[in-house]
Amino acid sequence: MNESAEIGLLVLAIAAGTPVVYAAVGEILAERAGVLNLGVQGMMLVGAVAGFWAVFTVESLWLGVLLSLIVGAAAAAIHAFNSITLRVNQIVSGLALTIFGTGLSTFIGRAGETQLAGEPAPKSFEPLLTGGLADIPLIGPLVFGHDILVYLSWLLVAATSYYIFRTKPGLALRAVGEDPPSAESAGIDVAKVRYIHVLVGGALAGLGGAYISLALVPSWTDEPIGQAGWIAIALVILASWRPWRALFAAYLFGAAGQLNFYLQTQGVDIPSNLLAMLPFVLAILAMLVLASGERARKLGAPAALAIPYSREQR
Amino acid sequence: MTRRFIVEPRGVADSWVKLAVPVASVVAALVLGAIFLAITGNSVIEVYAKMLKTAFGSWRGFSETLVSATPLILTGLAAAVAFKMLVWNIGGEGQLLIGAVLASGVAIMMGDNVPAVAAVVLVISAGAVGGALWAGIAAAPRVYLGTNEIITTLMLNFIAINLMNYLVFGSFSPWRDPDATQFPQGRPISDRARLPEFGELIPGLKSFLHRLDLGFVIAVVVAILIWVVLFRTPWGFGYRVAGDSAGAARYAGVKVSRTFFATFLMSGAAAGLAGGIMVAGVLGKMDPRSLELGLGFTGIIVAALARLNPVVVIPVAILLGALINSGPALQSIGVPSSTAVMLQGAILIFAVAGEFLIRNRIRRPDAVPTEVSEAEGATA
Repeated sequence: MNESAEIGLLVLAIAAGTPVVYAAVGEILAERAGVLNLGVQGMMLVGAVAGFWAVFTVESLWLGVLLSLIVGAAAAAIHAFNSITLRVNQIVSGLALTIFGTGLSTFIGRAGETQLAGEPAPKSFEPLLTGGLADIPLIGPLVFGHDILVYLSWLLVAATSYYIFRTKPGLALRAVGEDPPSAESAGIDVAKVRYIHVLVGGALAGLGGAYISLALVPSWTDEPIGQAGWIAIALVILASWRPWRALFAAYLFGAAGQLNFYLQTQGVDIPSNLLAMLPFVLAILAMLVLASGERARKLGAPAALAIPYSREQR
Repeated sequence: MTRRFIVEPRGVADSWVKLAVPVASVVAALVLGAIFLAITGNSVIEVYAKMLKTAFGSWRGFSETLVSATPLILTGLAAAVAFKMLVWNIGGEGQLLIGAVLASGVAIMMGDNVPAVAAVVLVISAGAVGGALWAGIAAAPRVYLGTNEIITTLMLNFIAINLMNYLVFGSFSPWRDPDATQFPQGRPISDRARLPEFGELIPGLKSFLHRLDLGFVIAVVVAILIWVVLFRTPWGFGYRVAGDSAGAARYAGVKVSRTFFATFLMSGAAAGLAGGIMVAGVLGKMDPRSLELGLGFTGIIVAALARLNPVVVIPVAILLGALINSGPALQSIGVPSSTAVMLQGAILIFAVAGEFLIRNRIRRPDAVPTEVSEAEGATA
């Protein structure tokens, strides 16, 4: 493997991991608030199609980003209402959102007057810098060779990590996910905190989806995100609900996928189907290590995850 | 404090509410679908009429609806049986696929060497065993270590999907048809291992039921059997008590974790049986494209709409089967087949939200509650 191929591989690994970073950070926020949202795959898909549609019709990338955030949050609002206000089953509600989002995104791509399916994006996110700093060997492309959404994701991870562990609202968030009754007694509006974080989580999942349709593979096909939403859910556990760990895990799997492409061109064949199992196998192993109770809590698993909270039934 | 509405828990919901909520969920989903269809410039009436006609308008269409409903009855049972006991097995998808892997594996291994009836029984049993084993991977740590089964069963779905694709697309495994060189496909199983179609057993039925096979009957019988076990046997009584309150069940002498484990495996077996029946029935091979339809997830919709009642699962599965069957036909009028998936998701969203109305009563503050004592008695 020559050097430029290595670097190219790493740059691609980062790009491939970025949608999962956005979605996983979003899911970390929701789960830290005690709401399990299995609708990530669906929210990513509606975000992906909304972003693509905006860019396809008005050719504005930032409008695409904005729309993917809004649509992702709107999709999450369904789950938030179901799980926070109505306090019905979060697992089933999340899965419902995924099924609905999957159907809706493909529907939007094919149902209108203008078919989106099969179309390339008229504009896409490109690396910010070409030449100059990006030409520095090794670190040039790795540090300067990405598109702006990658840099925003780094900013997001840093900010979220700081927010969760170093700020007062972050403390409130963790309290809500750990022990809602105590949080409520301390004057925290549990429902409000949960709503905000589930909605922000959805917006980020939507953006993660749009990263796929506007940067990674700038085009629209049916269900273009593969299993990214499910991988994000697996990563949240592997990362023990910590944003930085989620980022590195996402890049690791991105790199594994890219390495496999590369090895295939070199005649070495690791079956991609087996590689695709990896995040899920590791997540299960992590679950077994976490087992239950003490150890899981120490690592960061929110104790009140997926448990509805009712002020009256306290 | 004055509130415009008061929400309070119902004790036991009236049966009309239990019926009205699922029906209203379907109607609401159709209305939502109509909005999306209208926005995208499609004729709502034309689309829904086409779906109805495809699913129920002819014997061929109706038989295809039943073909689609067959695995859904079983994955619906898988979810219903588990959820009732608060076993959050959302791995029906993976259990179905591993059922198909094991069933086709056994069929391929047997070749033409086993007499017909025995071969069929072995193949579909292998499906059930495969599903139970796959569920066991999540059930054992749940029971012995307390590992949350929501995530493990969910993750096992994607391991199963990738495993099945590996066996057919990613390797030259015995599951892959050696004759299909251009487009990889599952290896066809022996005719002896195939479930007979109704038309083969009774020739007169061929023109009505077309390719519908005995798998449908098996699924219906399993649903009824499960109902009998749960509602008419001592084990079923323990199961239902444990589902309502583990503490009460323990007090009553029910071995809760054993019941939990058994329920988990039974749930997996039902989903695996669906895979086995598909392989031995309509597919005749492990065909990843026809197996990977999200039937396990649709089973959760079936269970939710049936409100976890094993027998009600049957008509609900036929309804969802109609939806799946009619989707592809929409392409002929220029409407994407994913309309059906969108409607499925919408139905589930409304059904799960509707649970709120089944569990709670909403009333005006001035109205005098009539059944307060009953409600309190039931929730206490």
